[in-house]
This record gives sequence, C-alpha cells and structure tokens, in this order.
Amino acid sequence: MPVAPALLAERPAPAAGRSWSPAVELAAMTDDSGFSSDNAPTAAEPVERPFEEQALPFMDQLYAAALRMTRNPSDAQDLVQETFVKAFAAWSQFRQGTNLKAWLYRILTNTFINSYRKKQREPFQTPIDDLEDWQLGGAESTTARAARSAEAEAIDHLPDSDVKSALQSIPEDFRMAVYFADVEGFSYQEIADIMKTPIGTVMSRLHRGRRMLRDLLTDYARDRGRATDTPPARSTR
Amino acid sequence: MTDCGCDKAKKDLEEYLHNELQAEDAADIREHLENCPDCSEEHQVGVVLIEAVQRACRETAPEELRVQVLSRIRELQSH
Repeated sequence: MPVAPALLAERPAPAAGRSWSPAVELAAMTDDSGFSSDNAPTAAEPVERPFEEQALPFMDQLYAAALRMTRNPSDAQDLVQETFVKAFAAWSQFRQGTNLKAWLYRILTNTFINSYRKKQREPFQTPIDDLEDWQLGGAESTTARAARSAEAEAIDHLPDSDVKSALQSIPEDFRMAVYFADVEGFSYQEIADIMKTPIGTVMSRLHRGRRMLRDLLTDYARDRGRATDTPPARSTR
Repeated sequence: MTDCGCDKAKKDLEEYLHNELQAEDAADIREHLENCPDCSEEHQVGVVLIEAVQRACRETAPEELRVQVLSRIRELQSH
C-alpha cells in the first residue's frame, strides 16, 4: 500500500470535509454517502479509493465473461487473475472518473486474445465476418405471428443450461458481441473499443450472433417438446 | 416513409433494443410497436432473448479465485 496510508492518516473530521480539497469534490460526485455522520464508513473516503476497492467488485462479472470466452472454469480463473494483475500494474494509467468496467473488459479481452486464443482453434477474424449480410436475416420476417409469440414463450422457458450451450456453440466473436451488449449492456461504441473493431462489425456480429442464438434456442425448445408450431394457448386466463 | 413503418421498424429493432437510437427514432419505433402486433411480437422475442442470456450468464467467481487475486495483488504491492 504505497499511497493510501498517508492519505488515510490525513483524513479530516467528516464535518469539515466538504471544502477542504478538490479530492473531496471528486469523491463526492461518485459517492457522497457517509459524509453526514461522524462514523462515516471508509468507502466514503474523500481520496481515490484503492485498486482493490474499485476493481475487485467486478470479479463476478469478469469471471462470467471469461467463462464465455474460454469455455472452461480453470482457464477462466487464470484469465481473470491475469487480468487483475495487469490492471493493477497499469492502474496509474486508468483515468479516474472514466468507465472502469469498460477498461477492465478491454484488458480481459486483450489478455484473452493474446494468451488464450492463440492456443485455441478459432482465427482472430472469422471468415464469416467478411460477408456483409447483417440485414440478411431474411427468414425472420417470414415467421408467422402465432409462431413468434410461441417462440418468445418457448425461449423464456428454456433452462439456463440450454442457453449456455447455445452460446458456446456460436462463433466466438459473435458470442462475445452478444455477451457485451446483452449481458453487460455496453454500447456499440464501447464494444467496438473493447473488441477493437469498427462499429459496423460490432453490429454485424451482434445481429448474426443473436440470429444464430435465436435459431438454436428455438430448435432446443422444439426438441424439448415445446414446439413453436403448436398454436398458442388461448383463453386460458 | 411510404410503407406502414414495418420495414424501418424491423431494420432498427435491434438498435432500439440496445438503446442505440436517437430519441426521435426511438420514439418512432415505440409508437410503431404500439400499433403493429407483428413488429411488437418480433420485439418481444428480442426482449426475451436478452433476458434469457442475462439469466444464463450470471456467475459467481469461486472463492479460491478471490483469494488468489488478492494474494497476487498484495505480493505486487509489497515490491
């Protein structure tokens, strides 16, 4: 702990806190809880919070993403550990107040590409990427409405294991685009930064990934006997 | 816009789902969805798909990982 102890020691009484330094204002913008009481929790320190406190809460999310990338728990753990070590080493380069989650995901993705993907099967640029058909999905509009409402219902009832295995089986770049957008809620621009691709490629991967996923899940649902061509239940409620 | 709006809605649906549209365009789609059962069903499939993926991808990092990461960081801090 090279920096924090000195700063911690200088912490003024909470009541005097608001105007004593710019650091207070910065902290107050992101976390102003705790200033009102005398025994304010350490989380409301008017100093930059240490790496562990800011970054480690993202561990579950990073692990979930790492699992989708590596497709096995042991590699996922190694990947997350390596990500945190790199992030810690680069911590001084992180600009406080910018998007920490996106920064960590960028490191995770880079680490994955450099250390793991090389060992694995898929090339960086999947050839299917080159086909510009993101408006292509043509078949979707022909799906009849009755079928479609049953489709939504069927997907909604699938067990997590089916959704996971469908995700595992779509090409990695598509899978990660879907993951970043649908699970993490990153914007297209953030995903483009994380994956280092143009935004159009993100949209294409996302569109095709979601299309593949949807088709797979519809198939699974049919296999499970919740066929989408069964007429939707009527007047049951 | 000469059609009933379905073409535009279908084209923009995915961006709408991901909050990528400008407020005005999003409002157009929203209005169209309210009046078009067909597009609204399509939208619903998209919503359900997002929810299914979110549900399936929830994970908790193993405790041993937490311990390992912390000890690696402590180790680096001490140098």
